[in-house]
Amino acid sequence: MSKVYTWDQLFSRRQFIKGSVAAAALGAAAGIGLLRPESNLGQGISDQAAVKGTKLVTTICEQCVWRCGVIARVEDGVVKMLEGNPDHPNNLGRLCPRGNAGIETLYSPDRIKFPLIRAGARGSGLWRRASWDEALSYTAEQMKKIKDKYGAKAMMFNSTDNLSQPFFEILLKAYGTPNYGTQRSLCFNSMTTGFLYTYGTPQPGTDFSKCKYMIFTGRNLAEGISNSETQEMIEMVARGVKVVVLDPRFSKTASKATEWLPVRPGTDSAFFLAMINVIIKEKLYNKVFVNQYTQGFEDLLTEVKDYTPEWAEKKCEIPATTIRRIALDFASAAPAAIAHPNWRTSNFVNSFQTERAIAVLNALIGNWAQPGGLIPDQDLSTLKLGVLSHPAFPIAQGIRLDGVPWQYPMVPLAYGVIQTMRDNILTGKPYEAKGWLISRQNPVLSIPERQKTINALMKLDFVAVIDIQASDTAYYADVILPESYYLERFDGLIPIKNKIFIRQPVVEPLYDTKSSLMIYKELADKLGLGEFLPFKDEKDLLAQQLKPFAVDLEELQRVGHYEMQDFKEDHSKDFEFQTSSGKIEISSGIMAQMGKKAVPTWNEPPRPEKDHYYLLTGKTAQHTQMFTQNNRWLLEVFPENRAWLHTSVAAKIGVKMNDDVVLESEVGKVSIKAYVTEGIRPDCIFMVGGFGHVSKGLKAAYGLGASDSALHKTITDPISGGSALSETFVTVSKA
Amino acid sequence: MELTWGLMIVIYLFTAGLSAGAMITSNLAFLYGGQEFERVSRWGAYLSPFPISLGLGVLVLDLGSPFNFYQLFLTLELSSPMSYGSWIILFFTMLSFVYLYLWLPETYQKIGQTQQLKRWKKHLTKLMPFLSIAVASYTGLLLNAAVRPIWNAPLLPILFLVSALSTGVAAVILISNLSPWKRARHKELHVLTKADAGLIILECLIILIMIVMGRLSSASESIAFNSLLVGNYAWVFWLLIVGLGLIIPLFMELMELKGKIPVKWVWPVTISSSFLVLFGGFFVRYVITYAGQTNSWF
Amino acid sequence: MTVRMGFVIITSRCIDCDACMVACRSENDVPLGHTRNWVKSSGVQGQFPKVSEVFQPGNCMHCDNPPCVSVCPTGASQKRSDGIVIVEDKKCIGCKYCLTACPYDARFSNSETGKADKCTLCLHRLEQGLEPACVQTCLGKSRLAGDLNDPSSVVSMLIAQYPTRILLKEVGTGPNIYYIDEAVPDIPDGK
Repeated sequence: MSKVYTWDQLFSRRQFIKGSVAAAALGAAAGIGLLRPESNLGQGISDQAAVKGTKLVTTICEQCVWRCGVIARVEDGVVKMLEGNPDHPNNLGRLCPRGNAGIETLYSPDRIKFPLIRAGARGSGLWRRASWDEALSYTAEQMKKIKDKYGAKAMMFNSTDNLSQPFFEILLKAYGTPNYGTQRSLCFNSMTTGFLYTYGTPQPGTDFSKCKYMIFTGRNLAEGISNSETQEMIEMVARGVKVVVLDPRFSKTASKATEWLPVRPGTDSAFFLAMINVIIKEKLYNKVFVNQYTQGFEDLLTEVKDYTPEWAEKKCEIPATTIRRIALDFASAAPAAIAHPNWRTSNFVNSFQTERAIAVLNALIGNWAQPGGLIPDQDLSTLKLGVLSHPAFPIAQGIRLDGVPWQYPMVPLAYGVIQTMRDNILTGKPYEAKGWLISRQNPVLSIPERQKTINALMKLDFVAVIDIQASDTAYYADVILPESYYLERFDGLIPIKNKIFIRQPVVEPLYDTKSSLMIYKELADKLGLGEFLPFKDEKDLLAQQLKPFAVDLEELQRVGHYEMQDFKEDHSKDFEFQTSSGKIEISSGIMAQMGKKAVPTWNEPPRPEKDHYYLLTGKTAQHTQMFTQNNRWLLEVFPENRAWLHTSVAAKIGVKMNDDVVLESEVGKVSIKAYVTEGIRPDCIFMVGGFGHVSKGLKAAYGLGASDSALHKTITDPISGGSALSETFVTVSKA
Repeated sequence: MELTWGLMIVIYLFTAGLSAGAMITSNLAFLYGGQEFERVSRWGAYLSPFPISLGLGVLVLDLGSPFNFYQLFLTLELSSPMSYGSWIILFFTMLSFVYLYLWLPETYQKIGQTQQLKRWKKHLTKLMPFLSIAVASYTGLLLNAAVRPIWNAPLLPILFLVSALSTGVAAVILISNLSPWKRARHKELHVLTKADAGLIILECLIILIMIVMGRLSSASESIAFNSLLVGNYAWVFWLLIVGLGLIIPLFMELMELKGKIPVKWVWPVTISSSFLVLFGGFFVRYVITYAGQTNSWF
Repeated sequence: MTVRMGFVIITSRCIDCDACMVACRSENDVPLGHTRNWVKSSGVQGQFPKVSEVFQPGNCMHCDNPPCVSVCPTGASQKRSDGIVIVEDKKCIGCKYCLTACPYDARFSNSETGKADKCTLCLHRLEQGLEPACVQTCLGKSRLAGDLNDPSSVVSMLIAQYPTRILLKEVGTGPNIYYIDEAVPDIPDGK
């Protein structure tokens, strides 16, 4: 019987310090004690510390999903500095705080250093060390047992946006389950479906460089950093472009904008419908474009007739004169004007309608494929990687637990509705789920009603988690398969237009970890599904992806990217809209089929009762969702989340800056510090998500701040599947 | 900013002033009082080297690189009060030990001839007041040079000098009253008390002028001084310094000088008033060191 | 002409992402709990809904008359001929006098070395022809560094073109960070 460890024993600071002394004794130069990995629980570190000299390695960041180019400086085997790769279009040589902080996590004492198998009750925090062979065999056995007893459908596979995701999808398809969960329904389902059912493409680009008028209603680029787009936003502001931000909170983006409109939460669509009303009434829309490329304009005319600015003012609390002025200015800047598709708008059930209104507003001024307007899907103009040849997938048996499409007919399969998947684990309807394989995702902190998610995990027969650290979800797992950090591993290649970029190890894995590519591959082998992931190792896989191109892997690794010469962008299909009518659907054919109102319309959102407040959630520039809070360099610049209270609310309940307050919703209660400000509507309370971790394996982050997932109610838009996070209302009191 | 210089530095500033004050008391008593004030001179000499030695020890402990201490004495940076101050304090401390030796009863003076030592004592008695004034005002110049609100008050060196003298006198009163041996006589104590009362009055005046000047100066300084009068440090300033450290001992000393204290109460009153002066002197350093750091420019 | 290194910081281009702070920590092994540079916020000013907020990045101002240098008792704090203010660790005794003397609070006591620590303008990077880490990573091109005496440097060109301000002018330190608050659409191509 092997030794049972608690988190404290696995990753104690004492051992860490010992390790750092040992590493220092090896004579590795430069660097501080903090950065020294511990050696007594890991493997191979001593070999690397012996590598002398400085080298630069080009790779791809994974501190968020934007995939910026990184050049890592490695001194004597220790990663010393990460800098932006100037050749990479996603970041143009610059890194955000999270990208700069990658090194801290690499050398964090809280890394999971070898496979772990649960040694006590689930969530007890007792573990034993396992070999990879044992951990993978155990996982495969459990998965096979579930498949044999309950069918493949009883096993759920979850992953989030990452470079190895396509291979995870191969694994799940080979296994044969229909149950695939992503994080998208917690994020931007309303935007992607709104645009999909209008333009036939889920996420058109935006040409900031020539834009003359921008309206943001849920794209907070200063705090939700998407590196290159954030840079473009700053340049746009610097050029003096008119930037209007609708946000109940004075975000950092709002502080840079020319105009901040503190819209009542959930009423953005009233604002846009009124803009459409004005633009139509004043005949400022692009008649030629509307005639040629859209359908359903007539229906729109009738629908928006009564959506006057005066009507909208009553809904969204933005003065009618302001709405009218913005509509006129916006139209006169056309086609170099954009109502940004956003990331997610107000997080209400009606957000799909808001996104539809935004999509239609853009169509009316004809900014499609125009300088300073919306950019069509670039798929055609992107290099196509070589693919693995594998046998045909078995046909997945059974309907999906997340209700797609039987409950949510309009939600694309690839997006899913993860919160419904969770609910159906608990209800056991339409059938009982038994196992969950989760790669790089943290549903415990991301899905509303945290306690329900924990209950769901407790109910299952088997939970396996692939992650680099003990996330809150890994904390409740039966097996943790430790993934190598992004600075230690290969991932699938990434083509961007005419270039191909590579993520590659900057240093060899510090510990007994593997790339997710190899974890999927070896798990497939153990499941008897090896033929679906036919590659020997990562390099073999990447070589297959590179087959169509005149470059070998070694060259790609050395240069960091490959550029296809004489590559012409293909714009021939820019105006071939992938909708049922082939046109931009102002009036959506699918919506009509479903018996719903086909043009963008107004749905009255719920309002908080007396002494209740809208609970708003959002991002900070210094952290990524629920993933980076344990990074101590980032904690230095953003130590914990606080509840934003308007000065008048704070005065009413008698709290000052940084006093503790209690927020309580119908489903939960948290204690959190107050941030008292004039920069928020008095009927709203805002908190950044991702704090309030429950995993004791995240030593630095544990106990900091509070989680919005403990407060959020589970409310789902039946059309887009989007989680209507902001329909949660809370009370606030002094702690 | 967070606090850079803490209690260690306060102790250093206080003890340096105390030693300098005790030294000057001893020197002046010897120069002008002669045999009549022999006890005061002697106790001043016995006391003087020790507080500053303690202060220096504490100072070295406060350094980030204590073993690099010698670097101070490899150079003389004229722009840095700490540099010339360190040299001055080095000489002062060494000479204060010599001075102490010269005041030891002859039986303990193992080195040197008695006559020679007496000559030395005379010379040193004339030199030490200058070094003492330098040491006492240096502590103010030290803070002056770090241009912060309060610290940059031009009167600060004078305030620290006066406070040093006052605490020095008080310390001599205290120790020469507590000692069973060579206890000071009534006449000596009377003069010392008179001197101390004068110094306290002077100190009050200086503090008043500093505050008025500070309040009339820039907004940053005005706010900094406000933190003494009504802000975070108000209770230290009003209660510990003005009340316990200045007004009450002054009152006690004045009563004593007027002979209004019943005889059996004279001893405890003298002890208490001199102790309170020391107490107040410490908090003068404390409040200035701390308030100067918690307030910055804007 | 002599070199005079300094910064131009365009506050209108700063979004307070703090990438500069993390990059500096990484490049210069700054221990946790301290930082060599910062982004300060004005806080939300005004009354809802008429509010504003300004972000002001900063670090050592590499002053013309650096009080940290003049108070240093051992000559460890020095102003180099190129204007960069540095600490020579060998001579520093850790008395923290310079920390108290800096009106910008740009220095801290390094808990690992015991020495005074501060921005070196990434001297070791400049020597390799690289920009300081904070400048290199800045998403908004808000932070810029260069030779203030060279008219063809990006910093000089910006100072010539836009109104600038310095911090705590009345203290007389002669700081070498020039702040531009106006919108700057184009960063000139300078050295």
